[in-house]
Amino acid sequence: MPTLVRKTLRDYRRSVIGWLIGISAFLSLYLSIYPSIRSNPEFYQQAALSKYPGPLKDLMGGLADIASGTGYLQTVVYQLLVPLLLIMFAMTLGTRAIAVPEEEGTLELTMTLPIDRRRLVLERWAAFALGLLAVALVTMVLVLALSAVGDLKVPAGNIVAAHAGLFLIAFFFGTLTLALGAATGKRALALAVGGGYAVGGYVIETLGKSVDAISWLRWVSPFHYYLDGRPVFQGWPVGDYLVLLGATAVLAMTAMLAFERRDVGV
Amino acid sequence: MGRESAAELSDLGHIAVPGRGRNMASMTAVVEAEGLTKFYGRRKGLEDLTLQIQPGEVFGYLGPNGAGKTTTIRLLLDVIRPTSGRATVLGADTRDTAVRARIGYLPGELALEGRDRAHDFLNFMADVRGGVSRGRIDELAERLDADLSIRMGQLSKGNKQKVGLIQAFMHEPELLILDEPTSGLDPLVQQEFLTMVREVRTAGRTVLMSSHVLAEVQNVADRVGIVRGGRLVAVEDVAALRERAVRHVEFHFDAPVPPEAFEGLPGVRDVVVAGASLRCTIDGRPDALIKAAAKFTVVHMVSSEPDLEEIFLTYYSEEAPRAHAGA
Repeated sequence: MPTLVRKTLRDYRRSVIGWLIGISAFLSLYLSIYPSIRSNPEFYQQAALSKYPGPLKDLMGGLADIASGTGYLQTVVYQLLVPLLLIMFAMTLGTRAIAVPEEEGTLELTMTLPIDRRRLVLERWAAFALGLLAVALVTMVLVLALSAVGDLKVPAGNIVAAHAGLFLIAFFFGTLTLALGAATGKRALALAVGGGYAVGGYVIETLGKSVDAISWLRWVSPFHYYLDGRPVFQGWPVGDYLVLLGATAVLAMTAMLAFERRDVGV
Repeated sequence: MGRESAAELSDLGHIAVPGRGRNMASMTAVVEAEGLTKFYGRRKGLEDLTLQIQPGEVFGYLGPNGAGKTTTIRLLLDVIRPTSGRATVLGADTRDTAVRARIGYLPGELALEGRDRAHDFLNFMADVRGGVSRGRIDELAERLDADLSIRMGQLSKGNKQKVGLIQAFMHEPELLILDEPTSGLDPLVQQEFLTMVREVRTAGRTVLMSSHVLAEVQNVADRVGIVRGGRLVAVEDVAALRERAVRHVEFHFDAPVPPEAFEGLPGVRDVVVAGASLRCTIDGRPDALIKAAAKFTVVHMVSSEPDLEEIFLTYYSEEAPRAHAGA
């Protein structure tokens, strides 16, 4: 492994472990209460539907079959909360690639090492990808295990497909903040734009299903390519995932080119 | 002394100046800038810098804060990009990444953060630059009295500066670029640092160090350049500067001396003879005064260390525009 990737991963270690513990705790808590929902499906289904008015229901992904194992997994894990957590984690790491060290002033010394600027961005990006991948893999194993224990009756292949999407959507937003940081050197700007696009994109995708006025915007929302294929129900939405992966690759290239051109730390 | 020489000397920044009797013309400059200019938007950082630094030279780069020293250094390291002009370092374009393994750099605003311990950080820097000789880091840490087991984010300012110096010196680079290297160091460590700089020069390697006070660099630098308001206003040979220095001198003789004996000596001013003692000020060489005093029996002599800073300030605060016009 290149020295800078190794060093960067060492710097990210605590952050990776912290988020891994947090997300795992969330998953364990929610997936362990599924058996009590399954034992009383009518009650919980009614409770969920009556708790949220129409548009909010859309935001929560429909809540139509929350009492089934598949519906529960989609609603509780893959619809909103876990993507939200993983995206926040990815954006944190994304800003730590360039923007944070640039604002701290520590990037200046790194830049005077015999590593060219593109490689610097590339290796920081690789370290971010590996950190994110580690969290995604461990949480995937956890979901597989808890689904088996709680007898959710979701095919393992679909869980792997859904979790791959989870990784890709977080990878996209993390790379976006990394690119914004590489282009501007400003952490707050990278987080604001990245976070704004994430929230806006989610709302457009979920509400756009029933609000015709904005439904044409769904294709610019990264969440469209994450949610629309319903991988927990239907398995791999290969085309959608390739769109996310391609957009991420374009952002990474943009990050390298933008950083290559500009003055650092002024 | 004065006007023409100040104007004339300022021209030296544009040509290779033989330093310490070596024939430099045959060597390639270690740092070479030509018309190097940097604007931050409309704000001027550096304008039209032309400068050569020769192998084995210690070059002091002086100027008040905000004059353009750090801008120059960041341009040489390709952290920022010039608006116009060009620069080479060790014969390569500043954009050439590989050449940076042969440069040691200490930033002016050194930031070291994180939970890594100082020695882990130094090992990382060494690895990326292709390794350093065994025991080198510990040797430098001992010389500078630095504790490398502390986490980077918790180092005191002085200790950070020491870690910064270690990483700059440890791979024995051909060129050291040190931006305000002595800031935050206590006097003992400053002395050790100056010794390290002299060793680097003895080994034939090159140093560019910036400072806002001449006193900090006058004892190690061969030449000094002054930058002011984004312009290089003068380049001076330190030995020549020392020769022109104003010194206060006192002689005590074994018997009263005639004041006439010390009248009209070249470069000797403010002569006060009181019985067996003489007090005066000399500009430049003390030769004529010594020869005049040698006619009598000298019991005791006091000569103050020349204050180069004083010369510098008197010349360049008033004459900078004129010197600049000549350049």
